[in-house]
Amino acid sequence: MSGAAKISKISAGDNSMAAYDVERVRRDFPILSQEVYGKPLVFLDSGASAQKPRVVIDAVRECYETYYANVHRGAHYLSQRSTDAYEEVRGTVARFINAASENEVIFTSSVTESINLVAATWGRKFLQAGDEVIVTEMEHHANIVPWQMLEQEKGIVLKVVPITDQGAFLVENFEPLLSDKTKLVAVTECSNVLGTMVPVKQVIKLAHDKGVPVLLDGAQGIVHHSVDVQDLDVDFYAFTGHKLYGPSGVGVLYGKWDILNTMPPYQGGGDMIEHVSFKGTTFKEPPHRFEAGTPPIAQVIGLGAAVKYVSDLGMDRISAHEQGVMAYATERLKGIEGLKLFGDVADKAAIFSFVVDGMHPFDIAAVLDRAGIAVRVGQHCAEPLMDRLGVEGTVRASFGLYNSRDDVDTLISAIEKAKGMLT
Amino acid sequence: MSLNLEKYDDFVEALEIIDDEDMRFEYIIDIGKRAKRQDFPEDWKIDENLMHGCMSRVWIVDQPDNGRHYFSGDSDAIIVKGLVTMMTESFSGLTTDELAALSIEKVNHLNLGALTTQRQVGMLAMLEHFKKLGHKTASNGDK
Repeated sequence: MSGAAKISKISAGDNSMAAYDVERVRRDFPILSQEVYGKPLVFLDSGASAQKPRVVIDAVRECYETYYANVHRGAHYLSQRSTDAYEEVRGTVARFINAASENEVIFTSSVTESINLVAATWGRKFLQAGDEVIVTEMEHHANIVPWQMLEQEKGIVLKVVPITDQGAFLVENFEPLLSDKTKLVAVTECSNVLGTMVPVKQVIKLAHDKGVPVLLDGAQGIVHHSVDVQDLDVDFYAFTGHKLYGPSGVGVLYGKWDILNTMPPYQGGGDMIEHVSFKGTTFKEPPHRFEAGTPPIAQVIGLGAAVKYVSDLGMDRISAHEQGVMAYATERLKGIEGLKLFGDVADKAAIFSFVVDGMHPFDIAAVLDRAGIAVRVGQHCAEPLMDRLGVEGTVRASFGLYNSRDDVDTLISAIEKAKGMLT
Repeated sequence: MSLNLEKYDDFVEALEIIDDEDMRFEYIIDIGKRAKRQDFPEDWKIDENLMHGCMSRVWIVDQPDNGRHYFSGDSDAIIVKGLVTMMTESFSGLTTDELAALSIEKVNHLNLGALTTQRQVGMLAMLEHFKKLGHKTASNGDK
C-alpha cells in the first residue's frame, strides 16, 4: 500500500506540479508517448477507459509467458502459481478499499456485471412488487437498466433523485424519497458525465437510519480518490479495472459478507459449487459462489498490478494532482466564449462535459481528434441525464492521473481552432 | 458499366491534389459549410428520412425523376454534412440498377479513410442507404 503522506485538498492553481512529477508519471504509460496524425497524443478519455502503465502490461505478459494456467483446479505447479497470484489480488483489492475481509471481494467482468449480479441475486430474492429502489438522474445506464429489468419482472418501482440545473446532487432532494417502501439506494459515487461527486457518506447514513442498504457505482469514483468501504459503511461497491489503469474484462463487486452470504448464486457452473449431483447441488460460500466458470485470470492479475501502481503513487496524491489540473481546466474552459460547461459544482472530479454555441459536439470532437486530442462525444451511456440537461449530447474531456496543464492548454487551443474552422 | 460520375470524379481529383491530411479535413468542412447555406427543407427532417446508426443525425431524401435518383441530405454536424454532400452530389442521377452496381471501391477510392476510419465506415453505410432508398422508391413505382 501507499506510503505517501496524506495530502489534503489544495486550492486551485498551486498543486498540479506539487503532488508529483507528472512528466515522470507519464513515462510509465508507453502509449502516451506516441503521436496521432503527426501530433502528440493528448488523451482525455480516461473516463471511458484509462491507459495502462508498463507494470500492468508487464504483469499480464508475465502471467501468460511464465505461469499461466487455470486457477483453483490444477494439481500442478503452474495452476498453483496462477491460483496464488489470482487470489493474492483479492487481498490487494480488499486492502485497497479497506474491506474487512478479502472474502468480500468478488471478481466480475465489469461494473455492469457487478450491478447486474446484485440485481439478479439480492434483488430477485429480496425485492417484491411495490418495493422502491432509489437512483439519481445522473446514473450510467448500467445502474438504471438492471433495476428497470426488475421493474418489468417483479413490479418494483424506481425513484429518481433529481439533480440541480448546475448538476449538483442535493441531499434535500434525496431525503424525501426515502420511505418505508425503499428497499435499496443504488447511486453513482461520481457522475461519468458531470464529474459531480455524490455526498455518499451522508446518503449512506440517511439510508441506514431507515434500514435501507446502499449500492455505490464506483466506476468513476474510485479512480479519482481513495475509497474506504468500512468508513463509508457501504453495503455494495462496484468498480472496474479498465478505468483504474488496469485491463479491461475485470470488475469488482464488494459486498458486506453477511449480505453476500444471504444471496443465491448468480450464474451456475464450475468453480462455484461445493458438490454437484443430480439429486442436488450445494454452493460454495462467497465470494466463490459468485464466480462461476474460468475467471479472467490474467486480467485480475493485471488489476492487482494497477491497484499497486495507484497505491504506490498514492490516491491522495492522484486526487490532489487532478484537482489542481481540474481547477486550471475549469478556469480556462470558462474563458471560452460560447462554451457551456455542465456540472459546475464544488465537489467534482476532473470530468468536463460541454457544448459550444453553434457547433455540433461531433464536429468539435472531430477537430480535436485531428489535433491529437482524444475525447468522447455523445450521450455517454446516460440518456436520461442528457434529457435533463436538454442536450442531444456533449463533448466530454475526462482527465486521469497522467494529464497535465499542458494537456489543458492543448485542449483550449484546439477548441478555439475548432470555433474558427466550424463557425 | 461505364457511369457518368462527373461530380464524383471532381471530388476524387480535388482530394488527390490536396496532399495534406489536415487540408483534406478542412476541405470537407468547407463543403459542409457551403452546403449548410443550401436549402434542405425543415419538413424533410423527419424520422422517416433519418439514416440510423450515425453519431449525428443524418437525413437523406431521394427524389426520383424519369427513372433516375436524385439525393439530398443534411446533418446537424458540419463535417458529416460535408460527407453527406459529397455522397449525394457524387451519386445522384443514377438509375436503380446503376446504384445497385456501385461498389464500395468507389467510396474507398475517395481515400478519406486516413482522416478516420469511422468516417469511412459512415460513408460506406451511406452508399448502402442510397441503394436501399433507390430500391424502395423504384418499387414504389417511381422507376
